[in-house]
Amino acid sequence: MRHRHARRTALAVAVTALTLTATACGADEAADSGGPVTLTMSAWSLNSTPEFQKLADGFHQRNPDVKVEFKEYDATNYDTQLTADLAAGSGPDVFAHKTLKNFITYQAGEQLLDVSDVADGLGDKVNGLGNYKVDGVTYSVPYRQDSWYVFYNKDLFAAAGVTPPTEAWTWAEYERTVADLSAGLKTAGSPAKAAYQHVWQSTVQGLALAQTPGADLNSGDYGYYAPYYQRALKQQESGAQVDYGTATTNTLQYQAQFGTQQAATMLMGSWYVATLVAQQKSGAAQSFKWGFAPAPQRDASTKDKPVTFGDPTGLGINAAIDENKVKAAKEFLSYVAGEGGATALASIGITPAALTEQVAKAYFEVQGVPTDELSLFTFNNHDTRPENPVSPQTAALQNILQETHSAIMSGSTPVDEALAKAGARARSEVLESK
Amino acid sequence: MSTTTVGGPRSTGADRTKRWYRARRSLQGASFVLPNFLGFGLLTLGPVVALFYISFTNWNVFGKAKWIGLDNFTRLLGDASFHRALLNTLYYSAFHIPLTLVTSLGLALLLNRKLRGVAFFRTAAFFPYVTSIVAIAIAWNLLFSRDAGPINQILGLFGVDDPPGWTASSTWAMPAVIIVGVWREMGYYMLLFLAGLQTVPPELHEAARIDGANAWARFRNVTLPCLRPTTFFVTVMLTIGSFKVFDLILVMTNGGPGQSTLVLSQYIYQKGLVENRFGYASAISVVLFALCMLVTVVQFVINRRRNA
Repeated sequence: MRHRHARRTALAVAVTALTLTATACGADEAADSGGPVTLTMSAWSLNSTPEFQKLADGFHQRNPDVKVEFKEYDATNYDTQLTADLAAGSGPDVFAHKTLKNFITYQAGEQLLDVSDVADGLGDKVNGLGNYKVDGVTYSVPYRQDSWYVFYNKDLFAAAGVTPPTEAWTWAEYERTVADLSAGLKTAGSPAKAAYQHVWQSTVQGLALAQTPGADLNSGDYGYYAPYYQRALKQQESGAQVDYGTATTNTLQYQAQFGTQQAATMLMGSWYVATLVAQQKSGAAQSFKWGFAPAPQRDASTKDKPVTFGDPTGLGINAAIDENKVKAAKEFLSYVAGEGGATALASIGITPAALTEQVAKAYFEVQGVPTDELSLFTFNNHDTRPENPVSPQTAALQNILQETHSAIMSGSTPVDEALAKAGARARSEVLESK
Repeated sequence: MSTTTVGGPRSTGADRTKRWYRARRSLQGASFVLPNFLGFGLLTLGPVVALFYISFTNWNVFGKAKWIGLDNFTRLLGDASFHRALLNTLYYSAFHIPLTLVTSLGLALLLNRKLRGVAFFRTAAFFPYVTSIVAIAIAWNLLFSRDAGPINQILGLFGVDDPPGWTASSTWAMPAVIIVGVWREMGYYMLLFLAGLQTVPPELHEAARIDGANAWARFRNVTLPCLRPTTFFVTVMLTIGSFKVFDLILVMTNGGPGQSTLVLSQYIYQKGLVENRFGYASAISVVLFALCMLVTVVQFVINRRRNA
């Protein structure tokens, strides 16, 4: 009898203990509006991507009661892993949109909180904000806005005896310059190529979509890519740049192509400024004079504000966030997208979304960043259009266009035939399918 | 003295103890097997059942899946990219299976002799199978490089003026991938054949030799029939592996140029993980599953008829 009683007591104690443990596990960290708050935020490659820590530290300095902790994901599989976490209800409080084309998945999947009030308070200096607006509601804010420039090696231009680019560079002038560079570098005995075009579809399609009037990714009509592809093919046929096949089979790194002076010019995103500065400092890149110029334009009409492309990198708030943390999360978003966060990012060579005089000053004070007139003009003046316009169809269309890119650049399919095929596939597989 | 038993024999204490021990032994056995069964149910069976359900829905991972019946499957019928991926998968399998079978068997026969350093050669042949697929793809891409690659340079020595573009050519990309696939896997299947060769009774070979059979006749009439179970197993495994090929192609060509090396597994990955169309991706997976099942069942039927 006594034995049975003891067993019952033990059982009751165990059940109570389990209940209490479960309750403790389920309860969130105390986050009353007045006390300290810890926000979790998604991030990738923390060792080589200092921007996250910079933003977290900058915000914590201003708001000592709020701490930002990171949940690191694999850079390559970022969206897959984040999606899995969000679907399982274990996503971070604040998460970054690594690529714009996946933003719509989170928005349509009701994973994002309405942050229109944060957006309203940011003013008109923040680039790329409109990309995160759906049906008049803003779901995320950009903290970083990269744009594509032409990076050029001043030493190789001088060796080839070619005049460096100007603010008003057209594609026709660019083609002439590349031809002159090829000849000049050969005469000077330099093994460098005139240009390097990386294997990404962006290098051709991004500028064509941004610069061609009326171009629309969702139209299913991709004829506007043709002149850009013909120019790229002409350059690789002439030997002015490494051909696509060699670049893919040899897995060429664009950083090494420009950083070790194997190419005199290279079209690349503005993130490469910080990379090249760091690589020259560490010795991974050679030491030479360089600068960046606007991407070549269709004609001189856009010379005051050259048209280029680039997607913003944004931050949104998890719709499932503890409501006691919402205020702090919104304050964090206001900071990262505002001038405070922008200045912090600029001070490490990152191109922030908010561009003000103070931000530009911080950017060009970074040791190693070129401070010539052309680089200053390029940083301060550009009309950046999205590479991945927000739409539910964008991811699928970009897949088709990626396959088209490899077919054209490898010389497997003639330009017009490949683009016509891409249009037909876009219509039948994406645009007309429910 | 007589005893009468009412209501049948009574179980004695000894019987109860015996039953208890028997039950305990069963429980102990089950406890060893149970974790494996639980793991299988949770990590394999569950997802497979879910896959079949999701293939009839329109699901983008967030929220509830919407039941759409056979829509995904009817859409597949008119999907040109799916047709292309299916044809490419069949193309890969049609060459990869027989080539791997022949080369692995050849290697096994070669290395089943008492040669000096045979262990080294066996290890060398098996080595590609345990090497990282990414390293393999990068190294072979360099070998296949159109202008500077050693393969085309060797072809040039033999008078080939216009060598193939290999992975940069829509015609040659698939043969290049097949070559690498065969090279990578032949070592593994060689080991299976080597194990099979150990089961061939030497007295059969001896008897054939006494009867005057030459090497080819001995191979055809003694070795091959004795290897039938191994060959069957290798063929089934190779077939399933070929239909599921993914990582090698993803790293070597990413399905390109264009769609020239796009295979079903990669198309599933594209639709599911890149475009978040998990319903559609699941429908393609079901088709791939059905294809593997069909071919395997056909192989089993043929094998049974041969053995009958």
